[in-house]
Amino acid sequence: MAESVGMPRLSDSMEEGTVLKWLVEEGGEVKRGEPLVEIETDKANMTYEADTDGVLVKVIAKEGDTLAVGEPIAEIGEAGEAASGDEADGEEAGADGSANGGGEASAGGGDEEEGPASQAERGDEGAATATAAADNGSGEEGGSEGSGANGGERIKASPVAKRMAAELGVELARLEGSGPGGRIVKADVESAAEDGAPKAEAGAASAEAEAAAPPKRESSGAKGEVEVQELTRLQQTVTRRMAESKATAPDFALTLDVDMTAAVELRKRFKDVADPVPSFNDMVVKAAATALREFPKVNGAYRDGRFELYEKVNVGIAVAAEGTLVVPTIFGADSRSLGDIARGARALIEKVRDNKITPPEVSGGTFTISNLGMYGIERFTAIINPPQAALLTVGALEKKPAVDDRGRVVARDQLTLTLVCDHRILYGADGAQFLARVRELLEQPLALAL
Amino acid sequence: MAEVRYREALNQALREEMQADESVFIMGEDVGVFQGAFKVTAGLLEEFGEKRVRDTPISENTIVGMGVGAAMGGLRPVVEIMTINFSLLAMDQIVNSAASIRYMFNAQVKVPLVIRMPQGGGHQLGPTHSHSLEAWFLHVPGLLVAVPSTPADAKGLLKAAIRDDNPVIFIEHEALYGKKGEVPENGEPLRFGEAAVRREGDDVTIVGVSRMAATALQAAETLAAEHEVEADVIDPRTLRPLDLDTILESVRKTNRAVIVEEGWPHGGVGANFAALIQEQAFDYLDAPVARVTGADIPMPYSKPLEQAAFPHEEHVVQAALATFRDL
Repeated sequence: MAESVGMPRLSDSMEEGTVLKWLVEEGGEVKRGEPLVEIETDKANMTYEADTDGVLVKVIAKEGDTLAVGEPIAEIGEAGEAASGDEADGEEAGADGSANGGGEASAGGGDEEEGPASQAERGDEGAATATAAADNGSGEEGGSEGSGANGGERIKASPVAKRMAAELGVELARLEGSGPGGRIVKADVESAAEDGAPKAEAGAASAEAEAAAPPKRESSGAKGEVEVQELTRLQQTVTRRMAESKATAPDFALTLDVDMTAAVELRKRFKDVADPVPSFNDMVVKAAATALREFPKVNGAYRDGRFELYEKVNVGIAVAAEGTLVVPTIFGADSRSLGDIARGARALIEKVRDNKITPPEVSGGTFTISNLGMYGIERFTAIINPPQAALLTVGALEKKPAVDDRGRVVARDQLTLTLVCDHRILYGADGAQFLARVRELLEQPLALAL
Repeated sequence: MAEVRYREALNQALREEMQADESVFIMGEDVGVFQGAFKVTAGLLEEFGEKRVRDTPISENTIVGMGVGAAMGGLRPVVEIMTINFSLLAMDQIVNSAASIRYMFNAQVKVPLVIRMPQGGGHQLGPTHSHSLEAWFLHVPGLLVAVPSTPADAKGLLKAAIRDDNPVIFIEHEALYGKKGEVPENGEPLRFGEAAVRREGDDVTIVGVSRMAATALQAAETLAAEHEVEADVIDPRTLRPLDLDTILESVRKTNRAVIVEEGWPHGGVGANFAALIQEQAFDYLDAPVARVTGADIPMPYSKPLEQAAFPHEEHVVQAALATFRDL
């Protein structure tokens, strides 16, 4: 009978996954080791390979559905077989979610030495050889780790890669393997260690430049003709992660006005000495980064029932790109000078506009800043970039009425900052203290220039 | 150095050792008047006479048994079995006597016996003449096993085998008898348990056994020329004692190993090496130890089938590449 496929555990911290795209249609043939479904985890989008042969009898989780690890996402059976839920005995779909894998995989090991026949399968015509290395994703998955055989997906890495990853402090779960069957090999660990950044795609935005399918036109009665646009992968990711954020993070927003008089003065003086001249946004980045160092929870995340507080302060800056949104990262922003941040930000923005940004450059952010001031927006809230604890929005810098020490209304350069917080990790007072500190730094901006 | 054929190198070793030591003598089927099925004993009957070059009946177990007795009695017999398949008839004497006697009698007697035999496919001699059975002898404690792949090794190792006080299974290869190579003229024996590194490279270790050492070397040249993969090629030369250190040192450098043998896969030399490598260099491996072996079938008679039943260069290339990526 059909066996259910559980939501695989594709990273150590993964608790649930989202089905991005089925790569086999319902009723289609499934082969062990071949791509079955794309799944978005808390860390990356990954292609999950089937660990059994058969037919995709039933798709349980539709594209876009998010399920806990181990929950059935599909059933694989033999051709012509009904899904288990359709059977007369009415056994619940996926009740036997742990049965796959082990036995089947071990069969592969014994088969591979049958002489010429097994070679022909590898396209190795007339060969006399039997190679154990040409594993087609069969042998290794056999060992059932964890509970469900499907869910207990181990990270495929060679022994030397594992040893070196431990020595170099490289997180294997974030690497993509270049070896046979996607195995992480020594070269992958070495290059990850050299890059200093995880290779896997992470964060709200991916730099994958992928053209959208050409629009289709359909008729829709009263609304007339409808242009239907398929989403690019990047747009799909943004869509899903924003919805996920809004659905899971209980957010609240804190707003305050910042007197930018001193900052405006300072920037005038920068014009004589700096190239590029740091923008007000760069100052906000620097101020936020400095404050983030002082408020570790804001530079953290609520994840899997725990708070994660990050060592590095990596500030993402939201950049509008053609048809989507990209958040490149300014790494170690708290320890970089304002001029350095200005140069870094300009280079990143240019790369985004030229579509040359790479995945490592949009990964690893611990906090996000979004600025719509250039459009005259006074203040706004935004969606937290999960799993980050908070996001800071920046409104327009404008002369606005303010009340001076003597109670008189005066015109002053001001801008409005809004901090959107995930209440699971940041409470009102935490956010307020952080935001007040950012204001303090912007209002007395000389420290930013140090 | 003179360039001589593998069979001539063996002949030189026999002649030199017989000249040097009167206790060395030869026994076997057709080794005298016919000068050996592969002409390895050419000229020896003429030079040393019937007492020391003895033609025997077709009676393998008896030939080896006589050899064991002669060795126990103080001589240094070199017994020739016409092909390795025929040695199976003598397994009782080889395993129960030759390999065991020194242990059974607390080393009061030794068995300095050499059993020479050719193996290997490619000459359409069918399943009763063409197998590669080094794994059978490697299995037995008490036996030394040599698998020379070059004329120089054939000579140096045969001389060492004759001088060794342990029983030695000396496995030649039918396809190598005509191969030429440089052979040192100093007549020095080689040492058992010293592998030869035929070629150096940083990317993958290829260990070739018997004729497959040559196949591995060809494959390594192709890997370098066409795939930018530089291979270490190691010829273990003797399987027992085994120079595992040289293999491990290479694997620790390349992180990948491919074992090439002509014999069958199950319980084969490659299986044994793979186990040893993963036991001792597990944390250095970037891929499972790959094996390229003969097909798991009795050797076919049909020429195309026979060719398909033992490894060729392209199979080694494929196996090596498969340790790097999906093919």
